[in-house]
Amino acid sequence: MARFLLKRFGLALITLVLLSMIVFAAAQLLPGDVGRNILGGFADQRSVDLLNHQLGVDRPVYVQYGDWISHLVRGDLGMSLEYKVSVSSLLGPSLLHSLKLAALAFVLVVPLSILGGVTAALRQGRITDRTITVRGLSLTAVPEFVTAIVLIVIFGVALGLLPTTAQAPPGASFLTQIKFLLLPSLALVAVLFGYIARIARAGVIEALDADYTRTAYLKGLDTKTVIRRHVLRNALLPTIAVVATQTGYLIGGLVVIEKLFNYPGIGQRIYVAAQNKDFTMLESGVLVIGMVYLLATLVADTLYSLLNPRIRYGGVD
Amino acid sequence: MDRETRRKLDEFRRNEAGPIESTLFDELAEGDLSRKEFLRRASIFGLSTSAIAAGLGAFGHAPLAFGATEHAQAGGRLRVAIIPPPTKGLDPHTYADQGGLETGGIAGEFLTRATQSLTLAPELATSWKPNADASVWTFKLRSGVKFQTGKTMTADDVVATYNRLLGPDSGALSAFKGVLSVGGVKKIDDLTVQFSLDTPTASFPYLTSSTTYQAIILPADYKLGSFEKTPQTTGAFKLVSYTPGVSAKYDRNPDWWGGKAPLDGVDVTYYTDDAAVTAALLGGQIDLIGQVQFATARPLFSNSNVQIFAVRGATHRQVPMRVDLHNQLSDYRVRQAIALTLDRPAIVKTLFNGRADIGNDSPFAPVYPSTAPVPQRHKDLRKARQLMAAADQGKGFAITLTTEQTGEIPQLAQIIQRSVKAIGINMTLEILTATAYFAGSQSGGPGGLGTTPWLNTPINITDWGHRAVPNVLLNSALVSGGVWNAAHYANKRYDRLVKSYTGAISHKDQQKYAKQIETILLHDTPVIFPYFYNYLAAGSKKVKGYKADALGQVYLSKTSLG
Repeated sequence: MARFLLKRFGLALITLVLLSMIVFAAAQLLPGDVGRNILGGFADQRSVDLLNHQLGVDRPVYVQYGDWISHLVRGDLGMSLEYKVSVSSLLGPSLLHSLKLAALAFVLVVPLSILGGVTAALRQGRITDRTITVRGLSLTAVPEFVTAIVLIVIFGVALGLLPTTAQAPPGASFLTQIKFLLLPSLALVAVLFGYIARIARAGVIEALDADYTRTAYLKGLDTKTVIRRHVLRNALLPTIAVVATQTGYLIGGLVVIEKLFNYPGIGQRIYVAAQNKDFTMLESGVLVIGMVYLLATLVADTLYSLLNPRIRYGGVD
Repeated sequence: MDRETRRKLDEFRRNEAGPIESTLFDELAEGDLSRKEFLRRASIFGLSTSAIAAGLGAFGHAPLAFGATEHAQAGGRLRVAIIPPPTKGLDPHTYADQGGLETGGIAGEFLTRATQSLTLAPELATSWKPNADASVWTFKLRSGVKFQTGKTMTADDVVATYNRLLGPDSGALSAFKGVLSVGGVKKIDDLTVQFSLDTPTASFPYLTSSTTYQAIILPADYKLGSFEKTPQTTGAFKLVSYTPGVSAKYDRNPDWWGGKAPLDGVDVTYYTDDAAVTAALLGGQIDLIGQVQFATARPLFSNSNVQIFAVRGATHRQVPMRVDLHNQLSDYRVRQAIALTLDRPAIVKTLFNGRADIGNDSPFAPVYPSTAPVPQRHKDLRKARQLMAAADQGKGFAITLTTEQTGEIPQLAQIIQRSVKAIGINMTLEILTATAYFAGSQSGGPGGLGTTPWLNTPINITDWGHRAVPNVLLNSALVSGGVWNAAHYANKRYDRLVKSYTGAISHKDQQKYAKQIETILLHDTPVIFPYFYNYLAAGSKKVKGYKADALGQVYLSKTSLG
């Protein structure tokens, strides 16, 4: 088990280094330069050149990268080129915001969709099954900004039940924060429900069909025990993997949802940094999200191996 | 005229009036100026209230009326949405974007403030006066003004602020270019500052106003990067916390020279999405949006719980056509033909629901008092086809229009594309992000303006902000070798006329030169000016005492929540 985790960790580190290089190189391809972005289209060329020099972005790419990574290994994320304050002071709160939203969405969508998937599988082919799969799939197929706008218009504007912006006023209580986060979380539930439920349903159907399930029935176990001990345990393995990959999306990939609900999460931070070529912010933000992804996958792998002895004992990797 | 009025006027002309003020009174006397225009010009030249009143009384105009102060309910915090957020640090002299100027302007003050009717109101300066040819201007400062640091404002602070504005990292260089240079600002005494200009400029006081949004007066010992950390402006509110891209918080400044502002404070939330900010106002999460556009916030314009604050301005789009490339556009007849295909009233209706003035292909917006009447260009396809034929382009040609993804501009590009089809021009649109559109160098290269798309493509559309006077537009965008001359236009006669216009002191002379400039530009058509649109803000019905500013300043010292 320790060897398995160590290996995973090593791979994760290599992935992060490669990721940082790719992002740095890709950001160079974006049009425009930092100085021009900061000073605006009407600024004097000399001022732009001067600012680029002061920011150090007129140096060769590898020098800039080396500079950035040498600070990073010492735990210094650097200064934002755009705002002239430390990157960590901006990324930290953004990450926290993203985690809050992701947590609420996660808490809502995971039990709901697994329940939906299992129910559908057990009622396979019947009206309940069809309702859950078709509804779920149609919700997933609708782009998230459409779902979000519909939710905003109905619950925020027409009924006035929930705030249309996701950020609670400073110092708000836990329940108030949840109230503010409810609409964007529901939009995310709509996006993810169909997908996770479908995977859960497929897993359960497969497990119901498997030899070991037949054996369990044949040795005289009642349906409840068979489902709990044999079916679910096997059926949920793929679901866990899917949920883990969605966690990365929930934290770093919510640019559109964050924009529509004006939520200062990390997705928006990175998006703006990329637009304005704020390299230090962009790099650090992408790395943070990369780490979140890898961590989520690591957790999923561990869970997977705990549930599946074949992986734990080194048979399959 | 009663005897007392005549006595006051004579006394003013004898003792205080320079040649510029005398010209103003003569123009009023001869009927060249309306009452409104007299008031506006009197405010530019810094005439005292008693002199203005004497002038109006002497020539039979209605006396000055002072509006009774609206009873404002004190208390409450106003929730303001600013879209988009500032794109960089908040040092005022570096502002170059809407988010920055709105954020700084809530706390900051200027020597003078431009009003909705383009008059100038005293702010940190109480009066100002030119010399005979308007090349030296003397400003008297308000006494007893305290910075939020506790220090009292003096001439040293104003000189230091202006020197910063003339430095290399200033965002105001384009406004001061050719008008004021380093060394031109001098302290006379603790409350007097003198500006010695590079060239006589009758409209100089505008450059000290809120329209030069970088010119927020700061203490002489202001440290770069400290604006968002320490409150140190003079305004009715002080910035007490700021999170880039997220929010800003302002509290009432108890030591404000203007007394006590009605609001306890202001909470700004930054938005990046039009739909989100629209929903936030409709859903009651915010009270006021600093800037809205008809094209992107339509639901607000039909909602009875929303009030729209509008002000006429000179914010506009320019469609420059390069005159120096060896292609079809180098023939003025082709450029005229393109301009003649546009149905401007319909464009204004579609894009702004009518909240815009129609442009006549020169920077002279209808809102400027110096704009002289010349025939308006209308859609005329027959004439356009004749011009194309005369230019040997009867069969038409293909060309690419480049522009940016900003506001209604992509829609305008499509309208132009459809319109020119009627005269056989097959236009391809290249719509870039604003970043890509303004990317690249702006100097050097064969054309002298670098490589950036916005200054070098054959035909494009660029967004231009409001200016209180058209001088910068006339100069930088159209004078030979101008830094923003995207059409690469060069006409010596035009250059001379702009110089004369800038130095002209009397209204009559300004209009005379304006007329000649407008006529030349209509003929040469280096740039199409399709419209000048109104600046719009939106708020809930609770917001009282708010006025939109043509540049987008969010000025809240008189605003209250009813």
